[in-house]
Amino acid sequence: MIAQGLKEKLTIAVEDRLLRRGQPLLFESGKRGFAPFLSFMEEKMKKLTLYAMFILFLSSSLMADSFSLSFFQNMTNNLFQNSYAEPDQVSTLNFYVDKNFSQVSIFTQGNYAYLFENPNLTYYVHDLGLDYLHPINQKTALYFSLAGRGAFWRSDYSDFNYFSVNFFSALKTYLSQTSILKANYSLEYKDYKYSIFDFLSNSIHASMDKYFQTKTTLRAEMNWGYKYFLHPFLSQEVILVDENRYFLGGNGKGKGKSSGARQYQYVMSTKGEGKGIQAFSLTGLIAQGLGNKVGLRLSGMKQWTLSGNNPFTFIEEFYAVENPSYDRFSWAGYELGTLLTVLMPWNIQLKMGYTMTNKEFPGIESLSLEGDSLGIIRKDERKRFEVEAEKNFSKFSLFFSYFYVDNNSNDPFFEWKGHFFSAGIEWNISLGERR
Amino acid sequence: MRGQAKLSLFFISAIFACFSFGQEPQHFYNVDKEIKVEGTIQKIIMEPRYKNTAPFLILVLEKKDTQQRYNIEVSPVWFFDHDFHKGENVVVIGSLYSTKEKTQNIIAREMRFRGETLVLRDKHGFPNWRGGPMKKRGGRKGKRF
Repeated sequence: MIAQGLKEKLTIAVEDRLLRRGQPLLFESGKRGFAPFLSFMEEKMKKLTLYAMFILFLSSSLMADSFSLSFFQNMTNNLFQNSYAEPDQVSTLNFYVDKNFSQVSIFTQGNYAYLFENPNLTYYVHDLGLDYLHPINQKTALYFSLAGRGAFWRSDYSDFNYFSVNFFSALKTYLSQTSILKANYSLEYKDYKYSIFDFLSNSIHASMDKYFQTKTTLRAEMNWGYKYFLHPFLSQEVILVDENRYFLGGNGKGKGKSSGARQYQYVMSTKGEGKGIQAFSLTGLIAQGLGNKVGLRLSGMKQWTLSGNNPFTFIEEFYAVENPSYDRFSWAGYELGTLLTVLMPWNIQLKMGYTMTNKEFPGIESLSLEGDSLGIIRKDERKRFEVEAEKNFSKFSLFFSYFYVDNNSNDPFFEWKGHFFSAGIEWNISLGERR
Repeated sequence: MRGQAKLSLFFISAIFACFSFGQEPQHFYNVDKEIKVEGTIQKIIMEPRYKNTAPFLILVLEKKDTQQRYNIEVSPVWFFDHDFHKGENVVVIGSLYSTKEKTQNIIAREMRFRGETLVLRDKHGFPNWRGGPMKKRGGRKGKRF
């Protein structure tokens, strides 16, 4: 009887969601999609193309100071970054235009990404903003920026579509010719299509460095941030969704599933209050120049959660989505990193880095692959190795990067390893004056 | 409706196009006067250089062998993007010009230091710099892993 009742609830909940979204909730990972050209034939893509042409037309009318186009081809064997590795390729096309008016400049950029194996995750992100640089004296300047962003995913991730507004202010001053003080404040509001993710965040950052004649730079940094989820709970009483359904979120009592094979249940509460999480971190960095062509950096960071928990129990990483529950506010722990920069023959810039992080996620329970609680807080230890190369030519630049990530977690779903390749080209077209 | 839209588009374009006229730069990047200088940073300041632009980041560079000093014009926005310090060694490629005060100035096209290359202009001297701290957050090089 109980099982029958749950099944009815499940059916109602899913149907309700299907109706609300007006589309199937099934996640279509693994299904081969259309070629990029064909997807452009669709109505939305036609609009997008017209929109891009409008931007290009405006940029020429504006006599933009700079215009750039870039194309990147990315490959990975683990798109969703979990134990059920799924390979995919992503093509991205980006444009950027800006125009300066004295100390104020306006800018706009767009980024379109097509996923070959998961075309229903294809997305477009557009930014528009203005900024202002104000020098106080010869050693000090203020910078202000106001920017808006819209992100639009196709069906499978359309719940993550959002509009955001970001205000950023920064101060930089030379305390002496060898010491710099920097401080900045950032305010961000994001309005998601699936409103439980809506949030308002505040961040303050301060840093001070000192350069020594031994070509050594020491830097100390402080970060504080508060993220407030405006309404991270649903008004429905209880929702259970079976393991084959794509769903999002929870409030600490259940889980959602969007990829992989673990079976989840979803339970949402009737609470209607907001929930905030507050984090604080300290960072130390030492950089050493070894001649003009080699630089070495070592850094360490420790982060604490001062108050609150993440209101969503489900953490998933998807490379293209800024996960509302997996960001700089959501964890406590430490990070150690090293980076070597080398200027190679033919003026090729090479960067090699290794980073080790140890993160605990307050409010996130680890689950077994069957979805049962393990009674412990999720904790990850991640090792990341990266190589990046960049070669600049007169009119364009070439980029190549490779990352290898080994993530150990007490949640078996997040035990994974992944390889990530990226290669791209960026064209710079100068439309402004040669001054 | 379609006619109104076209008319609106025309006016918007015309208004923005107006901003592009009447700008009289004081000097240009001269590719025939390009030089390469390696030296040590002696001073870092921000000061106005061109009409209708934000103040430039200026590095006073002392050449190693001759002790000749040059004022290096970097860019307006890179004041925030890169942290230069007095005493750092830098290689600069750029266009040389002199002022009435007989000071040697270089409009920087490329800078190398700490194993990094900063490309500020293309080979014809057109600026490559784009955006301050905020703009670059958007991943202008395309979305990558």
